[in-house]
Amino acid sequence: MKLFNLNKLHHELDSLTFLQVCIGTIFLSIFLIAPLLLMTGQAFISKNGINLTWFTDLLGSPEYVSFQSRGGRFGEVYNGILYLWGFDYGILLNSLIVAAIVTLICSIIGVLVAFFVNRYNFFGKRIFQILLLVPLLATPFVNAYVIGKLFNPRGGLINYIFYDFLHILPWRIDIDGLFGIILAQVLSYYPIVYLNVSAALNNIDPSLEEMAENLGAKSLKLFRTITFPLIIPSLAAGAIITFIFSLEDLGATIGFIGARANPLAKKVVSYQVFSSFAEALTGGISPKVAALAVIILILTVSSYILVQKYVNIRNYTMLSKGGRWGSRVSVPSKHRQSFIFVFLLLLIIIASMPQIGTILLATTDWTTSGALPTKITGEYLTTLWTNQDVTRAITNSLVYSLIAVVIMVIVGSSIAYVVAKRNIPGKGILDLLATIPVAVPGITLAVGYFLLFGQYFRGSVLDPLKDPALLLIIAYSIRRLPFMIRSVHAGLQQIDKSLEESSFNLGAGRTTTFVKIILPLVIGHLISGALLGFVYSMAEVSTSVTLGALREDREPITFFISRIIYGVAAVGSVSIGASMCMLLMAVEIAAMTISNYILKQKVSYLGV
Amino acid sequence: MVNIKLKNINKNFGEVAAAKSVNLFIEDGEFFTLLGPSGCGKTTIMRMIAGLEYPDEGTILFDGKDVTKEPSFKRNTGMVFQNYALWPHMSVEENVAYGLKIRKFNEAEIKKRVTEALEQVKLTGMGKRFPTQLSGGQQQRVALARVLVINPSVLLLDEPLSNLDAKLRVEMREEIKELQKRLGITTVYVTHDQEEALIISDRIAVQNKGEIKQIGTPLEIYDHPKDVFIATFIGKGTLLQGSISEKNKVNVDNYYLSYTNNLELKEGDKVNVLIRPESFVLNKPSEESNRLEGIIESITFVGQYTELKIVIGNFSIIVNTSPKTILNKNEKIVGYVPYGNTILLPYEELV
Ligand SMILES: Nc1ncnc2c1ncn2[C@@H]1O[C@H](COP(=O)(O)OP(=O)(O)OP(=O)(O)O)[C@@H](O)[C@H]1O
Ligand SMILES: [Mg+2]
Repeated sequence: MKLFNLNKLHHELDSLTFLQVCIGTIFLSIFLIAPLLLMTGQAFISKNGINLTWFTDLLGSPEYVSFQSRGGRFGEVYNGILYLWGFDYGILLNSLIVAAIVTLICSIIGVLVAFFVNRYNFFGKRIFQILLLVPLLATPFVNAYVIGKLFNPRGGLINYIFYDFLHILPWRIDIDGLFGIILAQVLSYYPIVYLNVSAALNNIDPSLEEMAENLGAKSLKLFRTITFPLIIPSLAAGAIITFIFSLEDLGATIGFIGARANPLAKKVVSYQVFSSFAEALTGGISPKVAALAVIILILTVSSYILVQKYVNIRNYTMLSKGGRWGSRVSVPSKHRQSFIFVFLLLLIIIASMPQIGTILLATTDWTTSGALPTKITGEYLTTLWTNQDVTRAITNSLVYSLIAVVIMVIVGSSIAYVVAKRNIPGKGILDLLATIPVAVPGITLAVGYFLLFGQYFRGSVLDPLKDPALLLIIAYSIRRLPFMIRSVHAGLQQIDKSLEESSFNLGAGRTTTFVKIILPLVIGHLISGALLGFVYSMAEVSTSVTLGALREDREPITFFISRIIYGVAAVGSVSIGASMCMLLMAVEIAAMTISNYILKQKVSYLGV
Repeated sequence: MVNIKLKNINKNFGEVAAAKSVNLFIEDGEFFTLLGPSGCGKTTIMRMIAGLEYPDEGTILFDGKDVTKEPSFKRNTGMVFQNYALWPHMSVEENVAYGLKIRKFNEAEIKKRVTEALEQVKLTGMGKRFPTQLSGGQQQRVALARVLVINPSVLLLDEPLSNLDAKLRVEMREEIKELQKRLGITTVYVTHDQEEALIISDRIAVQNKGEIKQIGTPLEIYDHPKDVFIATFIGKGTLLQGSISEKNKVNVDNYYLSYTNNLELKEGDKVNVLIRPESFVLNKPSEESNRLEGIIESITFVGQYTELKIVIGNFSIIVNTSPKTILNKNEKIVGYVPYGNTILLPYEELV
């Protein structure tokens, strides 16, 4: 029996497949597994050998875990100001609480919006569908900065309008700290749940719902008993991504600190890891930080794998998919229509505050003018090509992202092909490894890279202290690899294996077949994946502001923005940061448009 | 062209035996059909010949040369897939030219051969179209042209007609047969349609659950099925049980039918008896003992013939008659089965 397997392996493992397996395995082993393992290892080592010292230290210290509030304000009115900051329960608990609340609120909003949009027809629906995606346009740091600015009790626009001008509010509102982070994250992340759930709602065979209605189930009951259970897997998929994004997010915390300098906004894990990099240049990274990163990593990876298992088992939304159909859409009563309309309108207005704010900051004198901008100016936008530091950061990011995309295409298409089309023992492991990066927070990866390549590759091109560029490129490509693989995999699954076999039969080897038959057939998916990978890389935050901080002339665009917002940059005004965010938004819009309308690929949403 | 030999081929997919001790010899230039019910392993055998699947055990020889371990691209077989497998991103011309490009023919030669091949399958002028712009029958022809153009030593056709409508199926059947005879190419044809197999093949191998049950010309298989499975799978007929009463007579419910047969049978042996619907003669027999007398229970008009169900004693048989014969329900009827048409099969329990 053993012999047969070897025989089979011999047939399956031709040179192309061998090469592809090697590319995937080696790349993931060196740049994903090794750094994370080393980091985990170091977290377990202290002066007295292998033990849990760092972990017990962390978990035992009230600075990290505290069951009593260590400060902060929430719902307290003082001097005519309503403080909404949140309470400090220690860095680790804060992060978990923030992530849990963000996930919960995003889930509620996401499901509601998805349900409204996919089950009802109402006035302005088409426009809403587009505007609902505006938060996907990343404006790192500036988004939180804008929110902090709007809710500033001293001259914030919201307070100005609703307190000073309209007199609707009895007090001024001060949103900041952990609550501010929650607000900023909810506004950025609800589309993740919304898109996942939308896809599920579209995939439900309408006859399932019609059958239930036929049996007498009315709307709410129908939703509770049939529709909702069917979308749970997608909801779980979107929720876990939201959870992970929230845990690793640095944009909101840095943005709030930049806007308001409230130390409560620093009391999250991601900020602690980030600030440790500021000292890394001189002192290295302490095992305590590694331990912190390990705790987060274990949480994200294990919950991700659990959810993935659950989603795979319960993925029955497609079960009775027979032919094509339009999903079930009804026109609700006028009363309900107006409720939906107002709800979505408010959501869109609030959720696109960061994007609108970014544009205002970039094109007017709003940074310095107080509550309202007073004049339009192009001086900040022109820095995009006149200011040398700015152009250098932009060029750096462009180059990094382009190279990262090339790596993503090569590694991603290799892994996707092996997983989708070949029958190699152990390919399941490769598949799993390639999906794991979704669950690895960027800050964790940065710590792992710093430890591994800083210690064991000292002085080489991979040494982050010498030159972090290559590691940044690799980090970008690894972090977005799963999305590339998913995109190509989806394309590959539509290719019947007979299309390849007829090529073999006509005398073409596997490599020729891959190049002439497979690649042309998935080119749309490949380009679409590449475009998204490029956009994500340009806007990537976590590794950019950690590894990217290690050498000034190598800094990527997001690190540059973070420095401006954080206020440590001598380069100047927040408006320049906002201008750079506008550039990012433009790139994002272009990529999504090409992907959607020219390549006719659905923007591959983020999910399990 | 080549002859093909399969020696003791075994192939399992987990628990399922897709090929079980398969031995076949396919002559050079022969039109050979693999016939069997769905899932019996026909495609698997064909794919092993093409080199798209490898046997667990056994050898495959082309003209006596062992090709068992050769990958598909070295075997020079031309396989037409059940779903045609045309490449949607290439035009008809490009699809057909593919094999030639792989073989590094020059541009002019490729152009010439592609034109010829398209002509052969009556698709002249369609070269610039894309597969999605073609009807099912046209796609089928492109698939055929795509393999014919490389002059394959073996033509492999996996249920090539199953996606076509009934009329086109008959047309294409004729065309394929005609083309194959003209080119004299060794052809393996897979189908689960027994009528198609009988019409198109030089020889047929009937397969069931991975095993080859019988090999023979269409006539041999129709007239001398080896067992009940083959008898019921190919053609229609009534299966009855009987026992040998004396030499060349079989007792079916006390009717004594004469037969000729080369089974080793002795008096008292139980047998199964197959009577094809067209072999019942509506006349008095010359030999009185063959006489069957019954009552027409039902009459079904089918088109070319009329199907009768006749109750004879404790059993009933299905009989085809000319639609011109005027008969009535419940009419008494007398006839016989000529001794050459009484087909005896080794006894097995009927379900
Ligand atoms: N790649 C495979 N993996 C597992 N089982 C397979 C595979 N290919 C075929 N089988 C099984 O082997 C058996 C024979 O399959 P095969 O396709 O050869 O049948 P077939 O006679 O061509 O049937 P059909 O008339 O339906 O096309 C079936 O039970 C099938 O499920
Ligand atoms: Mg088949």
